[in-house]
Amino acid sequence: MAGAGGIRLSDVSKSFVARGTTVEALRGVSLDCEPGSFTALLGPSGCGKSTILRLSLGLEQADEGTIEIGGQKCGKATAGGLTGVAFQDAALLPWRNVEDNIALPLDVLKRDRSAYVAKIAELIRLVGLKGFEKALPGELSGGMRQRVAIARSLVTEPGVLFLDEPFGALDQILRRQMNIELQRIWTETRCTALLVTHGIDEAVFLADRVAVMHSRPGRIATLIDIPFARPRSSDLFSDPAFHRLCDEIAGVLHGG
Amino acid sequence: MAAEHVLSAPKPISQAPWLVPVRNIVILLVLWEIAGRFHLVAGGALPSLSAIVERFWEDRTDYPAHVWSTLVSSTLGFVIGNIAAIAAGVLFVLSPSAARLFRGFNVALFAVPTIAIAPILALTMAGISPRVALAAIGCYFVTMTATVVGLTQIDLRSADLVRAYGGGKWSVMRFVQLRSALPVILAGLQVAAPNAVLGAILAEFGGGGRWGLGTYLLGSLGRADPPRLWGIGLVATAIAGIAYLVFGLISARVTGASKAVTMTTSLPPAGTKAGSRWTGLAVSLGSIALPLVLWWAFIRGLGVPAMIGKTPWGVIDYLFFSPASPQAQSRLLEAMGQTLPITVAGMFAGLAAAFALAVSSRMLPSFTRALMPVALFSQTMPLIATIPLFVLLLGRGWLVTLVITISVTFFPAFITLAQGMKMTPKAALDLPKAYGAGAWTELRLVGIPSAMPYLFAAARLTVPRALLGVMIAEWLATGKGLGNLLNQSRGYLDYGMIWTVAAVSVVLSVALYQIVVLVERRVLAGMGMRGSE
Repeated sequence: MAGAGGIRLSDVSKSFVARGTTVEALRGVSLDCEPGSFTALLGPSGCGKSTILRLSLGLEQADEGTIEIGGQKCGKATAGGLTGVAFQDAALLPWRNVEDNIALPLDVLKRDRSAYVAKIAELIRLVGLKGFEKALPGELSGGMRQRVAIARSLVTEPGVLFLDEPFGALDQILRRQMNIELQRIWTETRCTALLVTHGIDEAVFLADRVAVMHSRPGRIATLIDIPFARPRSSDLFSDPAFHRLCDEIAGVLHGG
Repeated sequence: MAAEHVLSAPKPISQAPWLVPVRNIVILLVLWEIAGRFHLVAGGALPSLSAIVERFWEDRTDYPAHVWSTLVSSTLGFVIGNIAAIAAGVLFVLSPSAARLFRGFNVALFAVPTIAIAPILALTMAGISPRVALAAIGCYFVTMTATVVGLTQIDLRSADLVRAYGGGKWSVMRFVQLRSALPVILAGLQVAAPNAVLGAILAEFGGGGRWGLGTYLLGSLGRADPPRLWGIGLVATAIAGIAYLVFGLISARVTGASKAVTMTTSLPPAGTKAGSRWTGLAVSLGSIALPLVLWWAFIRGLGVPAMIGKTPWGVIDYLFFSPASPQAQSRLLEAMGQTLPITVAGMFAGLAAAFALAVSSRMLPSFTRALMPVALFSQTMPLIATIPLFVLLLGRGWLVTLVITISVTFFPAFITLAQGMKMTPKAALDLPKAYGAGAWTELRLVGIPSAMPYLFAAARLTVPRALLGVMIAEWLATGKGLGNLLNQSRGYLDYGMIWTVAAVSVVLSVALYQIVVLVERRVLAGMGMRGSE
């Protein structure tokens, strides 16, 4: 494993021009994620939380401010294989089977795939897709495709993991199940994780710290530490303390 | 719950799928035989099948040399043209400034009505090279456009993923774009294959030589021998049709695996105007100048005498500054007045027919299945081989021009549209269905809007083909318009007029094309889509 690196955003701003109008997606966003920590970015649609992630991955360039991952500039960190990513939609290549989709980051990073055969098999087992190694995405259910995406995000043994609403397209039951699995997987890898979500319970269940965002312009309103001990079990979902915290966050979320 | 709606249910097979088309073909052949036997169509212009076969058998020793000659030049042209086309498509997607610089060149090469430059190539090149060149030109734009469409209409999320791992343009190209463009490129090759045959035959037509189906056809035109003309036409059709079918089969195999599982919602990035206004202007000017420079270099490079090979300046001189200019101008204007209206009418009619058929292939699959073999058969017939037949059937009036124009525009438009509709993700089509929408609503809400980029691609494809169809009809049948002017000038060895007609027909074609592009930009921008142009 590449060694967990921190994520540091300093005073980042970003605007988009879409069909003639300028939209201020982010204004003066600063965020510091300790190595090995799990941070959730929580906010309504369009508050710029996905933009933070895209900027961190070098998919967009910030207008102002700097972003460092593991002490490196973000473009350098991603090209060095320090990061892993899973998007809201699985974004699997339809012509690649499960194994080959998981191996895509290795191909992009020009790493020797044969050194990862055991790793890929282990990941497939970890996300519960044993027996589907040769299946094409079209033959899988939505939940299964998302598991492939999670496995793919871990194949490079990243020090920093970005998750962009990875379970946004899944139903609540499956989502909780995947939350528990993600926690287990994350506990095993102990990478720095940044999760973008609009599910309050998901954020509270998974994260050490929740950054609540407000929109227009996108900014971080509050940082809230989550006190629950790990490992967290599914019982937590019905704990009154859990619900109190969720309600409190909902208050902040709607307060702006 | 999750698995059942994702695993696509196998289609119920009530009977063998090939049975209906085969039955229809048999019915058609029987009708044909009866019509021919009893001289029911145009006073015997449609000979019976048996008469054609009989004639073919009598001519059997003539065919191999002609067929071989056409095959060699069209295959060579197909290979050269498509390699250049795919390489160019990749280059244009990787480098937008190269695409802008070559835009004028591309549009000009695309808009060239092949018939207009066949005489020019025959004047300036030797051996089979005019045929190879024309076959290659016939392939280039179709395949280049298909490559660009395929490479740009990708799932942006997949590209993001590759870029998220530090992948650059080349990685995105390698891992996402090339493979996802494959079905579209193959559809391009499918259309290009009959084009190559048509190009080769056209060059044979315009350029003398001893062998080739075009030469054979030209030699047989004057003999009032319908069965032989049909025989040659059918052989040419078979060659083009086989090439078409082979790529169709490959395409069908590949498309199955590359359909997106869900529809991408990400808006394509807004075009950032790179560089200053002045560099933009310079590139635009360079793009217009490049075809002219290449034209000039072509003449100079081949060392054609100035008398025969006209440079751009030579054409301007002929048209405006020579003693014969006024007369040349009036002949040209009269010809344009005859050619333009019917070109536009034919183009719209062909496009409408293609759209109707593409739509009905969704609505009434069984109707399309029945019609498809007939449509394919009539459309893979190389244009040049079918014109004598159309003339026999429809006479030499405007009707024959219109029908020919529709028939040449319909085919590429239909392929482009059908391909576009096939690429609509299944999930997007399921959504209206889930709300109880019928086939019409589904089509209106999802099928047609998502096929819009392809409709415009089809419209762009049909422009020059319409002009080509009109000019060939004029040349061979009606004795009017630009096509006729070109043919006459050939007879009078009026080299200035030959080059002028070629240049003017390209300019006309480019102008029509530009109009389509402008409309396309407007409409697609309003829909949040991006065209392939």
